[in-house]
Amino acid sequence: MSRLSASDVLVERGASRWTCGQSAGLLLLLAVALLALVGPIVIDIDPARQHLARFLEAPSLAQPLGYDQLGRSMLARLAHGARLSLSLALVSVLSAAVPGFLIGLLAAWCGGWTERVLAALADAVLALPGLLLVLLLAALAPGGFWPLYVGISLALWVEYFRVVRAACRVLLASPQVEASRLLGFGPAYIIRRHVLPALLPRLLTLMRFGLAGAVLAMSALGFVGVGLQPPTPELGVMMIELLPYYREAPWLVGAPVLVLFMTLLGLLLLSPQKEAA
Amino acid sequence: MNAQAPVPALCVQDLAVLHGEDVLVDATSFSIPAGGVLTLLGESGSGKSLLAQAIMGHLPANLRCAGRISINGESGEAADVAPRQAGWGRRIALLPQEPWLALDPTMTVVQQVAETYELVSRPAVDTQNDSLRTARSNARTSALDALASLGLRDAADKYPFMISGGMAQRVAFLATHAAGAPLLIIDEPTKGLDADRRGEVLALLQAARKEGMSLLCITHDVWLARALGGQLAVMLEGRMVERGEAEAVLAAPQHTYTRRLLAADPACWPLPAPVQAAAGDVGRVIAEISGVSKAFGERVLFSDVSARIHAGEILAISGPSGAGKTSFGNLLLGLLKPDAGTVTRAAGLARTAFQKIYQDPAAAFAPTVSLRQSLRDVVRLHQLDWNRLEVLLARMRVDTGLLDRLPRQVSGGELQRIALARVLLMKPALIFADEPTSRLDPLTQQEVIGLLVEEARAAGCAVLLVTHDTDIVRCVADRQIRLGS
Repeated sequence: MSRLSASDVLVERGASRWTCGQSAGLLLLLAVALLALVGPIVIDIDPARQHLARFLEAPSLAQPLGYDQLGRSMLARLAHGARLSLSLALVSVLSAAVPGFLIGLLAAWCGGWTERVLAALADAVLALPGLLLVLLLAALAPGGFWPLYVGISLALWVEYFRVVRAACRVLLASPQVEASRLLGFGPAYIIRRHVLPALLPRLLTLMRFGLAGAVLAMSALGFVGVGLQPPTPELGVMMIELLPYYREAPWLVGAPVLVLFMTLLGLLLLSPQKEAA
Repeated sequence: MNAQAPVPALCVQDLAVLHGEDVLVDATSFSIPAGGVLTLLGESGSGKSLLAQAIMGHLPANLRCAGRISINGESGEAADVAPRQAGWGRRIALLPQEPWLALDPTMTVVQQVAETYELVSRPAVDTQNDSLRTARSNARTSALDALASLGLRDAADKYPFMISGGMAQRVAFLATHAAGAPLLIIDEPTKGLDADRRGEVLALLQAARKEGMSLLCITHDVWLARALGGQLAVMLEGRMVERGEAEAVLAAPQHTYTRRLLAADPACWPLPAPVQAAAGDVGRVIAEISGVSKAFGERVLFSDVSARIHAGEILAISGPSGAGKTSFGNLLLGLLKPDAGTVTRAAGLARTAFQKIYQDPAAAFAPTVSLRQSLRDVVRLHQLDWNRLEVLLARMRVDTGLLDRLPRQVSGGELQRIALARVLLMKPALIFADEPTSRLDPLTQQEVIGLLVEEARAAGCAVLLVTHDTDIVRCVADRQIRLGS
């Protein structure tokens, strides 16, 4: 028998393992990502190509999801739709998170007037419902990709700003940062060693929710007809187009719903054991 | 029941704490008579807190315990925690370390105390007869009475962050005590408290004794052990190495470790040898403060303070808590700007010539970066020699294997020595040591203060030492600045 001191017990804690929920979430997301990334390449059918004779044709081995109301390959459309949703959501979230993080850090670092002006700006954006902002921009340039992207990013950056600013104010005043400053380290080091490691878990949690929100917002806009327009294979657009045929071909409308559901559930299940944000 | 042999409040037989096959606390037996006191004295890592957790029945999940524990005559296997947990608050209670962290920041003081009266101490009969509302108002009345009895009536509607550490301790005591447990375990009651608050803690514990409570007090504070009296047991590396009447043990310690522990009390430190500063440096002023004032909002910390810091001297700053000792040092370091007056550094000093040692060394390192990486970053930034650091660490008796750990994975004393090495690496002209040992054990405290003084003297570096302990000031300081009153 060996002897340990009480503080040695501290060392071995914190080995991280995947929980059931997290593994399930990861599997779901991997499935959707596989569809989005590899699907369009493997299937290699133009999602806009119509075979009117194959109107609502039932699934077969060659076409596991059959053909839609205009005789287009449903699987190809689904793969392109998933790719579109995921990539747009990822781009919007990143272009909200990066400026949100930088502006939040700037506000906390400078303090004073800089911080007050930036905080007021953020509050002003927050006073406007996010979806309304997207709708306004979509009304300016109907059917385009850009208004959606800019709108979602503009609505989302504020939460990154607020979280980063609040956390950084505490962190930048803490002894660890003070000690690093006294030792002569500059801002780059403090951000790399102190700020990023402390904030990354929170940012990742926010980004998961942001991704889920962006995917959902885009489908919702497509569904009500103000987002991307047909014939773009977008999940919400496909749902509304295929809804009238749910009696004849329920799998058609079911497919985009299932992809959306898997994406959202996967993102939410992926939460860390101890939620950081 | 036999009246000649009263039931002991706590009787522990062969209690051991294990981690897998590793023994953290060796089989230990002791008992506390009803109304008696047992003080467990030892340094952190000696297993005294684990022992308390084992008795309470809330060990961390990866540890287990063996042996028998009987509380007030009710005996049971130590591993069977459910009966003891059912008695929490009513038969056995724990006053945790740094109780201000254990209070709920969103509840007022009286609510927290009333909660125990309402939910834990209410007899079963009441539950059926009283309405919820009367129970609640009765609990509030009892809580207010209890607060008044400890002079906390005015603090009743305040939140924990609005009251001092000593008051928070009394509030936590009332909350743990409300359900009337006759046996109270107190974990490090003086840790993190200013020295001038220790008297309050002692008064609190003595009042509890007068009420007939039995106490198991865990501490590294020799002063408290001496003042509390009763039985004393000394723990070392998970074993009880000495036990007896407190007075007898403290007067004539048998075990070498006890002797070292008692000698480490600052009151017993040898007085310093006459100062022998390096010849050229005597009198050179490295920093000057003139007519400086500082206030935070309405609260004026100090005004029109002037001082000169000379190279190589050891200067103690003392004063009651809240007198602005930390702010004074931070002004000197350039971390704060004075409201009035000037702070000047001697010309030709590097930007990094003034360094700081913190009260909580774990807070002074990036928590997610290994110590080796943190130190390597410093060495790389200033193009220093890693070997010099290894020499420093060796002089501080720090095993370089520890550097691969994260800051929270090494003990406070080790980390404080690493922090000192990191600071010395910069060849500082001034080290501002802000209560560097108030969270450390006496032996570690003596070692860290000794190293700090020795290294500073060797390097001709001035030390600005903030401490509450007048004995430390007497033993190490060349000069003293008093702030406040």
